[in-house]
Amino acid sequence: MSNGKLLIINGPGLSDLSDHNEVANYDLSLSVIEQKCIETSGKFGLEVDFRQNDDESELLSGLINDINNFDAFIINPAALSKSSVINYDAFSSAISEISNQSKPVIEVRIENIFKRNVSKPLQVPESGLGFIGGLGKHGYVLAIRSINKKLSNQ
Amino acid sequence: MNIYVINGPNINLLGTREPEIYGRDTLEGIAIDCQEKASKDGHIVKFMQSNYEGEIVEWIQDAIMQKVDAIVINAAAYTHTSIAIHDALKSYSGYKVELHISNPHLRESFRHVSFISSAVDSVVAGLGADGYSHVIDLLSELPIKVN
Repeated sequence: MSNGKLLIINGPGLSDLSDHNEVANYDLSLSVIEQKCIETSGKFGLEVDFRQNDDESELLSGLINDINNFDAFIINPAALSKSSVINYDAFSSAISEISNQSKPVIEVRIENIFKRNVSKPLQVPESGLGFIGGLGKHGYVLAIRSINKKLSNQ
Repeated sequence: MNIYVINGPNINLLGTREPEIYGRDTLEGIAIDCQEKASKDGHIVKFMQSNYEGEIVEWIQDAIMQKVDAIVINAAAYTHTSIAIHDALKSYSGYKVELHISNPHLRESFRHVSFISSAVDSVVAGLGADGYSHVIDLLSELPIKVN
């Protein structure tokens, strides 16, 4: 019996993490992150669906269609937040909807995006969006632990 | 492993200050929670809070002198104003985490700028009071170069 269903979505560009190996002292790849997420979720009895898509429209429609099917969300928008205003707005309203349903949602970035100013964090006012950046694959672990704690307190 | 957890202005009011934003946990409760978790793995957490910018700068300098392994800093409102804290953190070579109970990027625009973020290794925000113990847990388990 599952204690909750977690959707992890990874945005455009995250299929190739080779340029992140500078900040990580291990070979970082999306499959390393996925394994870590499955392992951590499994310990808590959370069921996890781990996705990555370079096509933002597909990623977005997948998220919007699945809001009601999951109990918690981890989002690494990667290049998505630099994308078109239309996609960004749709993305923000999806996050608002998740928050309205009182479901945990956390933005995770592999690197500290504020150091090189490569990208901006998601800004969805009035939402309960959390943020973790710069912890490599461990950021996902932290997010899953926080989500598990929140789900078990509900 | 030695960890300093440094808290800035008004965090001593936790539990009573705008509980709809910051929650009902008190700083004392959070400190006890972190210390218990860390001591289980043989780590030491020193939990501090000050309303004075200079005192926070001195604690960071103390961490440099004492060769403390990691700093977790919630500079609160000084996050958005203090170049002095930024500079002190730059001089500290251990592992640094910027922590916030709420997510400043979802709040007033004057909270969108952080002088701390570019001086630290990682940023954790909006996980509530539990963010502290989650971060301590993670630091306790990992080799110090977390990435």
